[in-house]
Amino acid sequence: MKNTFILFCAILITFSCTKEVVIDIPGFEDQLVIDGSIETGQPPFVLISRSKDIYAPTDLQAFFNSFVSGAQLTVSDGTTTFDLIEVCSNNLPPGSEATVAALLGVSVAELANIQICGYTSLDPLIFGQIGKTYTLTVTNEGETYTGVTEIVEPTPLSNLYWKPDGDLTTHGYAWATLSDPANQFDGYKWEAQRINTDINGDLLDVSFIEPFSPVFDDQFFDGLTFDFFYDNPQGYEDGVLEDEAGLYALGDTVVIKFSKMDRNLYEFMEKKYTQLSTAGNPFATPTNIPNNLSGGALGVWAGYSPSIDTLICQP
Amino acid sequence: MKLFYSILFLLLCLSASAQDNYTLSGYVTNAQDGETMIGVKVFIPSIQKGAITNNYGFYSLTVPKGVYFVEFRVGGQETETKELDISKDLRFDFEIGSNFQNIEEVVVDGKAEDNVKSTKLGQIELDIDDVKKLPAFMGEVDIIKTIQLLPGVSSAAEGGQGFYVRGGGPDQNLVLLDEAVVYNAAHLFGFFSVFNADAVKSVNLIKGGMPANFGGRMSSVLEVNMNEGNKKRLAVKGGIGAISSRLTVEGPLKKDKGSFIVSARRTYIDVIMKAAIPESSPFSGSSYFFYDMNAKLNYTLGKKDKIFLSGYYGKDEFSFGNTDDNFQVDMPWGNGIAALRWNHIFNSKLFMNVTSTVTDYQFSFISAQDEFRFILNSGIRDFGGKIDFTYFPNTRHKVKFGLDYINHTFTPVSVSAENDETVFDTGTAQKLKSHESAAYVLDEFDLTENIRFNAGLRYSMFQHVGPFTRFIPGDISTPDSSITYNKGDIIQFYHGIEPRISMRWSLPDNSSIKAGYSFNYQYVHLTSLSAVSLPTDIWYPTTNLAKPQRGWQTSLGYFKNFLNNKLETSVEVYYKGMDNLIEYKEGALPGDNINNNTDNLLVFGKGWSYGIEFFIKKTAGKFTGWAGYTLSKTDRLFADINDGNPYPAKYDRRHDLSIVGMYTLNKRWVFSAAFIYATGNTLTLPTSWYVQNQDLLFNYGARNSTRMAPYHRLDISATWYGKEYKDKTDLETGEIIQVKKKLKTNIAFSIYNVYNRSNPYFLYVDNDGDFLAGDFEIKVKQVTLFPIIPSVTWNFEF
Repeated sequence: MKNTFILFCAILITFSCTKEVVIDIPGFEDQLVIDGSIETGQPPFVLISRSKDIYAPTDLQAFFNSFVSGAQLTVSDGTTTFDLIEVCSNNLPPGSEATVAALLGVSVAELANIQICGYTSLDPLIFGQIGKTYTLTVTNEGETYTGVTEIVEPTPLSNLYWKPDGDLTTHGYAWATLSDPANQFDGYKWEAQRINTDINGDLLDVSFIEPFSPVFDDQFFDGLTFDFFYDNPQGYEDGVLEDEAGLYALGDTVVIKFSKMDRNLYEFMEKKYTQLSTAGNPFATPTNIPNNLSGGALGVWAGYSPSIDTLICQP
Repeated sequence: MKLFYSILFLLLCLSASAQDNYTLSGYVTNAQDGETMIGVKVFIPSIQKGAITNNYGFYSLTVPKGVYFVEFRVGGQETETKELDISKDLRFDFEIGSNFQNIEEVVVDGKAEDNVKSTKLGQIELDIDDVKKLPAFMGEVDIIKTIQLLPGVSSAAEGGQGFYVRGGGPDQNLVLLDEAVVYNAAHLFGFFSVFNADAVKSVNLIKGGMPANFGGRMSSVLEVNMNEGNKKRLAVKGGIGAISSRLTVEGPLKKDKGSFIVSARRTYIDVIMKAAIPESSPFSGSSYFFYDMNAKLNYTLGKKDKIFLSGYYGKDEFSFGNTDDNFQVDMPWGNGIAALRWNHIFNSKLFMNVTSTVTDYQFSFISAQDEFRFILNSGIRDFGGKIDFTYFPNTRHKVKFGLDYINHTFTPVSVSAENDETVFDTGTAQKLKSHESAAYVLDEFDLTENIRFNAGLRYSMFQHVGPFTRFIPGDISTPDSSITYNKGDIIQFYHGIEPRISMRWSLPDNSSIKAGYSFNYQYVHLTSLSAVSLPTDIWYPTTNLAKPQRGWQTSLGYFKNFLNNKLETSVEVYYKGMDNLIEYKEGALPGDNINNNTDNLLVFGKGWSYGIEFFIKKTAGKFTGWAGYTLSKTDRLFADINDGNPYPAKYDRRHDLSIVGMYTLNKRWVFSAAFIYATGNTLTLPTSWYVQNQDLLFNYGARNSTRMAPYHRLDISATWYGKEYKDKTDLETGEIIQVKKKLKTNIAFSIYNVYNRSNPYFLYVDNDGDFLAGDFEIKVKQVTLFPIIPSVTWNFEF
């Protein structure tokens, strides 16, 4: 149905015109934003920030100023509770630079130019384990917020392959075969990173990148085995030929991170990506994204159970 | 049966008091084309008694024995008088207009005095000829857009067909075409009405004080009656406009006995698109058009019986293709409606109408990309029957009673999807079956010379029946489950009494005070995920989860006419309460309907609306028109929306002003203008933003807490009429004489949005740029749909 709206918008665009307006939007409420995650074999990492008024400045410094320092955080795996320590981008524990850079969407080199603090623990006992449920507790300015997430049993893709699209011979989608477990809820997320290098010797993708709509559940294919494909989210840059847009090139090496998540996290993700794809669309209900955090915080406490596989783009 | 016997007893009592009187009754028809005439006043000045022809042109007037001069009055202006000896029950069918100079100039609406004399409260009848003279958007004469110019009625959005009456939702309007329900009254995503004005005879809007013979909706009744067809001669009329053309053919089946009318319309937007999009373009397969057809037959079987068969079929066809992406979408939707009616006159006092109807509304969405194929269907099919009696026991009473039944089959969402050889599990199509029925009785009676009541009771029932599968969603610890009901199982039964009463107290100075109370149940709901009406909105019946909507309205009005009824004025105040209103849960998505019951996604609440309406209308003279102003407030309260706090409805309008004027300069030129001012619609915009995993997300504020800029617009039109007469030389005398032309033409020029106001259609928050690059911006943007749009339409008739 999303296409219906897109098509209708296309009609509107034909007739309509758009202009910027300044209008009173009442009801701004300053809220804490918790952006935390834990996945199999990785430490928990949490960024704390504050929401910003819709008309607030959007420059980089204002954004970084919104991060909260001095909060108390713990993560419990049900038997043991671990304190998280505050780490800043200019004082990161050795070995965590790449993880933090990926979380922020910047390169390790750029990380040095950013002053930002997050919370983590490098105690291997709190690194994510399959089947465990993790509780995050955040205390800030006298308010306490909690979130619960589970690292569920992963479902690896049973096959990954590349095939040229249509009449093309050198470009195509990344295809996969999924055997969905029957009689249970399964929520999935697809991310990809090209690890071959460009002519300068730099990685084509510095981190895992999500496609336009990276999450889906098994509502319509519970227990089925089927093939599906994803596009190359970096394949729409300027200079890419129209026929080859969104496709992987022959010879690309792509690492696929195929994660599973619990139902609450999936609900957050589904609504998040719906909001991203329909923001500004008058035909979608304006929706605040539900999350798994108590205490009125925005954001999410996310537990992922990834399976990682590598696709070499060859017929 | 107890109710039926009670009604019979009541009727016998009423008749008993009238045995020394005799009844004058019959049909009133138009002398020019034989069409029955609605709203003609049959009046006997000497005893100050009168009656008005009903929707079928029938009247009945019981008076003491005597010889009377009886007036047949049209439009409060033209009157024909007949001397009649009423010494026994007299059937007198009258062709009106044969003595008038020019029947075409007679306004068919004969209810000038009705404004103050009738018990009608919150009712307005549109004159189709007036509608045709008003400015038309893209040249398309539109009944619904004219309705939106009346006080208490507002539009959903610019160009939209959804209309909101006194704070009610668009699903709370009962739209009837020849007594058959129309579920989707719009073409082109709501920009044009399905009613072809050439095929329409009368339009009546009831926005308050709904009589007991109507039910099933809470807010209003929009009653549209089709023309019956010219009984005198074959006639053709049509028009060629900017985006569509139409043609109507009508004529006698047998002169003065029966007639037919067929009226069709088609847009040629697809032809324009085809010319505009080159064949080499990947979008060359994209197109849009709509068409509709009205047809009606009627035949008089004898003095006592008439039958009518009317039908409507209309469809929108939207296609979008992109061969580059191997992507194709086809989206057809439309209504099919048929009504078979039988009028029978048992005697001069008892009139019966039996109607059977079929209504079918279907919407499909078919998309394909590469190996993936997705089909969605949604629809509703009704089979209905009703029997209505009108009984005229004496001049003080007019009694109506009847039965109503509809068999509903709803298909809210039926989906199939496949990818190459994999067929996805989208479940079986959910069909919901139900029976809706009602019995009613009402009496419009004079308590005293000055006080008249219209009191009625309606008893309605609704059964949701099997087969049906109730899905019970699970959670983390409980798996999904379901309950299956077999064919004929009664899943839920609702019933209730709906009292309706209105009264008129006549005051000496051609004015009156009216008051009314009505209570309604509504058993069908329209569920919408969008801010405007779209064909993707889903009709859903009452179930064991979705309870019937309930509404009650009280209103009070003061009505006064001036200048011998040429100037009508009124002030009405109202309060409306609504219960069991429905909305989707916050965060519900269209796909959530699949493999699920739609009512699992709904939340329930209540609403209220109150306001005051001022109306002034000039009905005769060179300058005619009206002005209406409404001051109102409409709120909603849902426990699961907006944290349980009340919030304004999206169509809450504090101020709504419409001014409509028509000026007939001479026989060749008519000018008209319409001005609208309305408080801006409410909407929900983000109040803040935050970042999660590098994505910028919005957090929305209170529901409908932002208000758009006010809406105002001026439309004007000028209609030029070709000469009615041509010069001809009399062969015998050699003199130049004037002969009426067979072909009559006019050209209607319209300008929509004369001063090119950028009215807000919707607002959205746009973000653009890159945080890390430092060029990130968040802006609020307003989309305006229609700038100034001129149009021209050529109309002809012969």
